[in-house]
Amino acid sequence: MNVFEELKKIIVEIKDIPEDEIQLEAKFAEDLEADSLDIVEMLMLLEEKFDIQIPEEEAAKLKTVKNVVDYVEAKLQ
Amino acid sequence: MFFKTLLCDLLNIEYPLIQGAMAWIAGGNLAAAVSQAGGLGVIGASGAEPAWIKQEIEQVRKLTGKPFGVNLMLAAPGIEKVIELIIQEKVPVVTTGGGNPGPYMERLKAAGIKVIPVVASVALARRLSRLGADAVIAEGTESGGHVGEMTTMCLVPMVVDAVDVPVIAAGGIADGRGFMAALALGAQGVQMGTRFICAEECNVHPAYQQRVIKAKDRDTVICGQSTGHPVRAIRNQFTREYLKSEKMGAGQEELERLGQGRYPAAAVEGRIDEGSVLAGQICGLVNQVQPAAGIVADIISDACQVKNILGGIECQE
Repeated sequence: MNVFEELKKIIVEIKDIPEDEIQLEAKFAEDLEADSLDIVEMLMLLEEKFDIQIPEEEAAKLKTVKNVVDYVEAKLQ
Repeated sequence: MFFKTLLCDLLNIEYPLIQGAMAWIAGGNLAAAVSQAGGLGVIGASGAEPAWIKQEIEQVRKLTGKPFGVNLMLAAPGIEKVIELIIQEKVPVVTTGGGNPGPYMERLKAAGIKVIPVVASVALARRLSRLGADAVIAEGTESGGHVGEMTTMCLVPMVVDAVDVPVIAAGGIADGRGFMAALALGAQGVQMGTRFICAEECNVHPAYQQRVIKAKDRDTVICGQSTGHPVRAIRNQFTREYLKSEKMGAGQEELERLGQGRYPAAAVEGRIDEGSVLAGQICGLVNQVQPAAGIVADIISDACQVKNILGGIECQE
């Protein structure tokens, strides 16, 4: 599974924004207007999708789309 | 009189009624009075110094031997020291707001403390119950102070369906009718803040209480929507100025400056025109100052009456 592609689908589902607006460098808060509840929802969907667990202290560091992609890819290795 | 749900067993309390922890004004006296009356009193430690919190915990313990709680504002600076104090003092219950308690959950749980986070969404409720929350408070946008977007009516049953732990309903509840309505939605208990502002033991300026009593149905507004941290307060000179600035596109910094110190101005100094009079939408239903024990007894006895009325409705499956 391509992590970036799956993450984009999740963000589209939560925020209802066009997929092509979701860039790898996008910051959740500033660029995607995601609030803390949106981010929790994203984490839950990611965990289900990839069958992983993202601990709270790691979750707090995920500020951009790239952060998440890198984190999940490392986790899946 | 008795009224028992799963929440009573979990927290070792008589009635499934939690007092909302209003910052600054819900001190040891109020918490002790509510706990002594059979509910769960909670100290509003939001952003307070550890020394103050310790003193209020000691005050509760002086007045009652019953369980009580402390509410933590997780986004507050110095939260680490407060967590240490809570663990050291073996506070029976912690409720949390203003952030995700995930990072502290393990330590609090290891100390035998019951952790009950306030949640404003299903996903957060699921995440925190998985991390070990003992119950969750599903708080609707009707409540006072910081608010989410979902109404209690919609949020509570969805959270009930999503988690296995007891759900406590909050936001828009101030009497026995609301209490029973929450249980009908699947909640195992209720948290009320606004009604307890008008408890005699609440450490708030009398002018603030009178403003809550005077308030009618449409008297609260939400300020700070554009900041990402919306707050519900009773409409006054301050909220009008603030909302005007917000509408004109004022930046974060300007709005922050405008809101600075407004809550204590109202709650402590009684400046109810220039201050921020935080209260829930249900303030229109609160019409007197009375002892906390009277509030608890009224709610529970009204709830029993409501149950009887509902029992009289003719229906069959």
